[in-house]
Amino acid sequence: MIEVRALTVRAGSRVLVDAVDLVVEPGTWCTVIGPNGAGKTTLVEAVAGLRRPEGGSVWVGGRDLGPMRERDRARVVALVPQHPVVPPGMAVYDYVALGRTAHHGLLRGATSADRRAVDEVIGRLALGDLAERDVATLSGGERQRTVVARALAQGTSVVVLDEPTTGLDVRHQIELLELVRNEVVDCGVTVLATLHDLTLAGQFADRIVLLDAGRVVLDGAAREVVRDPELAARYRTALRVVEVEGRDVVVPVRTQPTAATTERASTGSAR
Amino acid sequence: MSTALPPRRRVAVAGVLATLAVLGAVLAGLAVGPTPIGLGRVVGDLLSRLGVGHSTLSPLQSTIVWQLRAPRLVMGLLAGAMLAVAGGTYQGAFRNPLADPYLLGVASGAGLGATIALVRVQGDGVPAITPLLAFAGAMAAVGVTWVIGGRGLRTATGRLILAGVAVSSLLTSAQTYLQQSSLGSMAKVYIWLLGSLAGASWSSVALITPYVLGAIVVCVLAARALDVLSVGDDESRSLGLPVRRVRAIVVVASSLGTAAVVSAVGLIGFVGIIVPHAVRLVVGTSYRRILPLTVLVGAAFLVFADTLARTVMAPSELPLGVVTALVGAPVFVVLLGWNERGAR
Repeated sequence: MIEVRALTVRAGSRVLVDAVDLVVEPGTWCTVIGPNGAGKTTLVEAVAGLRRPEGGSVWVGGRDLGPMRERDRARVVALVPQHPVVPPGMAVYDYVALGRTAHHGLLRGATSADRRAVDEVIGRLALGDLAERDVATLSGGERQRTVVARALAQGTSVVVLDEPTTGLDVRHQIELLELVRNEVVDCGVTVLATLHDLTLAGQFADRIVLLDAGRVVLDGAAREVVRDPELAARYRTALRVVEVEGRDVVVPVRTQPTAATTERASTGSAR
Repeated sequence: MSTALPPRRRVAVAGVLATLAVLGAVLAGLAVGPTPIGLGRVVGDLLSRLGVGHSTLSPLQSTIVWQLRAPRLVMGLLAGAMLAVAGGTYQGAFRNPLADPYLLGVASGAGLGATIALVRVQGDGVPAITPLLAFAGAMAAVGVTWVIGGRGLRTATGRLILAGVAVSSLLTSAQTYLQQSSLGSMAKVYIWLLGSLAGASWSSVALITPYVLGAIVVCVLAARALDVLSVGDDESRSLGLPVRRVRAIVVVASSLGTAAVVSAVGLIGFVGIIVPHAVRLVVGTSYRRILPLTVLVGAAFLVFADTLARTVMAPSELPLGVVTALVGAPVFVVLLGWNERGAR
């Protein structure tokens, strides 16, 4: 369970996250959506303990993350960053094993329990064939799966993902989110994620929170939020929700008159 | 990685070769010199001291080996190991391939301290207070860099590195001014700055050993943390690494060890930046492999360089820093080429 209480994060005089309250029930998936600059990344980074809030607090499993040491926090919350740093020359296995740092500490090496945990995650995410590969040589999809594996190896009850599908093709986007969904359903992991793709946000999350200018604008069941007229208003774009095989597909609709395109195209061909 | 050898076996081979290199360096350091003393007789003398057989060395030869060559050898091992491991540690702690042990101002601080001693204290030779002032200067320089750039530890290391550049430039210009203003002692200052193991004695070895061994142990133990740090500060923290504390510990240990070495032997360049890179080219990017091997390779490399420095133009000596670069640079270029070919 994640409880965000009146969280405020500033950068200089700019307020990035403004008194946000948010509760994510255990074993559920909450996705934060919002236009660029809404404060999504800042919010999840604050939940992961990477940003010190000016006000408010973040609680996980009834414990305040604020005063926690890095090591204790890393055993409660794991982060999949938006742009993970890929260290060249590191094998996939070793990269995933970094997730156990908070468990075995820095002076003692990995214990057999740590190795078991790493092996188990690598097996579950079908990374066995890649274990010896250099992470820098992986494809986008493989790499992102490896980053998720590292987060899962931390063995935390909460996993925070910041735009985990960035740079992936549609198949790998779906595959990655299914994999995270399985963790929620099978292992009871609590997920807080940010996503730009409203369709995927609607299909995978239990709950969606719409953030704009650092404030929570909408907060509710995924099906309701994607249909709320406020959503299109905040994105300043026309949106339609189409149901395909019982699932919501959110489609942006162009509002510029089509004639303009035709005209430009014809002058283009005339040249 | 680059060649057909599986990495684990490659690391084992590299470890054996590095250990042999250290043994070779020890023998070369004891047996090679202007006074020819056979290697067998040196080993015989060593064994006789352990109660096996009889020594065939004359008292003079024994003095040359154990009072001149041996402390110089030990100093070379300590200095080479320390400079190399500090360089490797900084490269990891600051995630900067150009980092070397002098990154935060140790060299310029020690240079200024030593120059003050050499210029202000009258008399022949190097004044006894020189190492003390060099050490104090080195630690003061790092301290100032730390205070100016310390806030950079939280977010980015760029600030700390730039503070090091600023402090180094300032102290170097002060040192140069002082050096130029006292033409009489210019040669002494110059020779000190180039670095040399010639002044090594058992007492100077005893003085720096605790700092150097302590610093080496801390750096090698930090290897696991440096491996985590290779994913950057933010991700490291999310993985549970106390980034700020790790960097502070590493900087304090490396600075103490490097300052101790520099105060005893002057500024020896090249070892600290090239040895860790050379080791990395062979055994890969994990600091748990790089740092222990760097200790061995750095120690062996500096002793071999010193053996060359004191024999090539005997009885006069080449500056050690010149030899390290002259020998080290081509070796490094060959390694780079070999790695490039293997990577294809």
